[in-house]
Amino acid sequence: MHPDVTAITSALRAAGVTSVEVEQTSLGVIVRPQVPELAAVLSALRDGSSVFTFMVDLFGMDTGDAVELTYHLRSLSRDEEIYVRVSVAYDGAFTSVWEAYPAALMPEREIAEMFGLTLQGHPNPKRLLTTDGLDPMLLKRIEIRGAEEVRAR
Amino acid sequence: MTEDSRLTVDAPDAPLAEGSYVPAALPVGLRRVPSGVDEVSTEHLVVNFGPQHPSTHGVLRMIIEADGEEVVGAEMSIGYLHRGIEKLAEHRRYNALGTLMDRGDYVSGIHGELAVALATEALIEVEVPEKAHWIRSLMSEVNRIASHLVWYGTFGLDAGGMGQFLYAVRDREMLLDILEAVSGSRMMFNYIRPGGVLADLPQGTDRKLLEFLDLFDIHIEEHDQLLGGNEIFQSRVHGVGVIDKETAIAFGLTGANLRASGVGFDVRRDRPYAAYDKLEFSVPMAAEGDCWARYAVRMEEMRQSARMVRQCLEGMPEGDFTAKVPKVLRPPAGEAYAAVESPRGEWGVHVVSDGTESPYRLRYRPPALFALQVVEAIMPGSLIADAIVMAGSVDLVLGEIDR
Repeated sequence: MHPDVTAITSALRAAGVTSVEVEQTSLGVIVRPQVPELAAVLSALRDGSSVFTFMVDLFGMDTGDAVELTYHLRSLSRDEEIYVRVSVAYDGAFTSVWEAYPAALMPEREIAEMFGLTLQGHPNPKRLLTTDGLDPMLLKRIEIRGAEEVRAR
Repeated sequence: MTEDSRLTVDAPDAPLAEGSYVPAALPVGLRRVPSGVDEVSTEHLVVNFGPQHPSTHGVLRMIIEADGEEVVGAEMSIGYLHRGIEKLAEHRRYNALGTLMDRGDYVSGIHGELAVALATEALIEVEVPEKAHWIRSLMSEVNRIASHLVWYGTFGLDAGGMGQFLYAVRDREMLLDILEAVSGSRMMFNYIRPGGVLADLPQGTDRKLLEFLDLFDIHIEEHDQLLGGNEIFQSRVHGVGVIDKETAIAFGLTGANLRASGVGFDVRRDRPYAAYDKLEFSVPMAAEGDCWARYAVRMEEMRQSARMVRQCLEGMPEGDFTAKVPKVLRPPAGEAYAAVESPRGEWGVHVVSDGTESPYRLRYRPPALFALQVVEAIMPGSLIADAIVMAGSVDLVLGEIDR
């Protein structure tokens, strides 16, 4: 279920991505590229021998310093799972990966609205779940408010 | 079983349920006219299906651009049921997360409770008693039949039938009575907790379930013949809404929808949880990827679920139904992902703990959201009436899509 860390590292090196951290955690194997390397890492994982063609999930998390995006990938033929994590600055921008993983289409729109990020390269970068004017509610600085305050808005 | 059976099973030697109904090839006169043959093009019309439309299974708004009767563009507009479950979860204790999950996919609440309980247990590293595992599997399968019956009834409604819905609800009602006897609630169970389950099965549950199963073994064949044996239904679903293998994988489809496209991934078999590694069941699959394949796979899943419920009742061990867990859980900092095979696919819960009594972040992977994306992608090119059938065939629950 967990892929081999050295195999992943060497596969990424072979694809020309050299400065990427690959670590084994209790969750699984996590690859941490910088934002510019993300596309190269994903295509290396998808098209390489490990064939991580299936995107299980894509979600964001407010770590307190930045928004961390997690791409949860699965290889159906090898029965392995891997996580790719990138940090995006608050109010920053991230690029859509929908051409490699169409499964990311709606989750990316959700991340953009829930964390206040700008989505680039997406065919339909509208809000997904909430209406215009609402705060990016999954950020930690946004607190759940009472009903009377919402009415006053 | 006839030769042209569309249903294949993962293991070649695993027998199909006896007497499962497989209709013969369609009569020539009933083949549907493929869309795109109409050479006359009209001014395009944008039609809003929903949010209040009976065939949208809740409050889904489908914005369809139509050329005559043909769909040329489709967009799914969602969010009408958005309650911010992921944000609310950051303000709940771990024991109370199940109540939020119930209200996500409200048709199969047991699965959501189980997913979040498994994720919590992975963080606190508690040993769940054997009996709790079996009760969890039992309740999951009971809930799966109830959920598939809702899908069966409403899918038939989408395809133009009415009677099957009443029969499906009749059977589901018996299951909801049993679920209520066990958990105290018909839909919002809050029964599966971190460490085990809320309470032991009440006396007489096994008798009630066996009575139901004896009836259901007959009723499932009746259901299958009533809808699947109907020529009009067959002509509405055969070859409609084809999702090929590559599309299914690329769009992250899971569950019965994925298996109907010829990809054999089932969380129960490939990532066993609860007591599934001790149960015997086969994972039904089909290769066509059309609405009929999804229909056939789900009908066979119900038979397999009934089989598993019997095994759970026979093999139910003695012992505690829950481990001793503290009233307030404070898992150490870390994160865990747990997934269950809900009736709609892989229901994943990703929990990040910072050592306090509520999760730092809870991500709920909604399988129906990914199914909705595929529907949006394959809808253009079909007729409007077929678009409704497509949306019905993938089993959408909007409470889960919107969270």
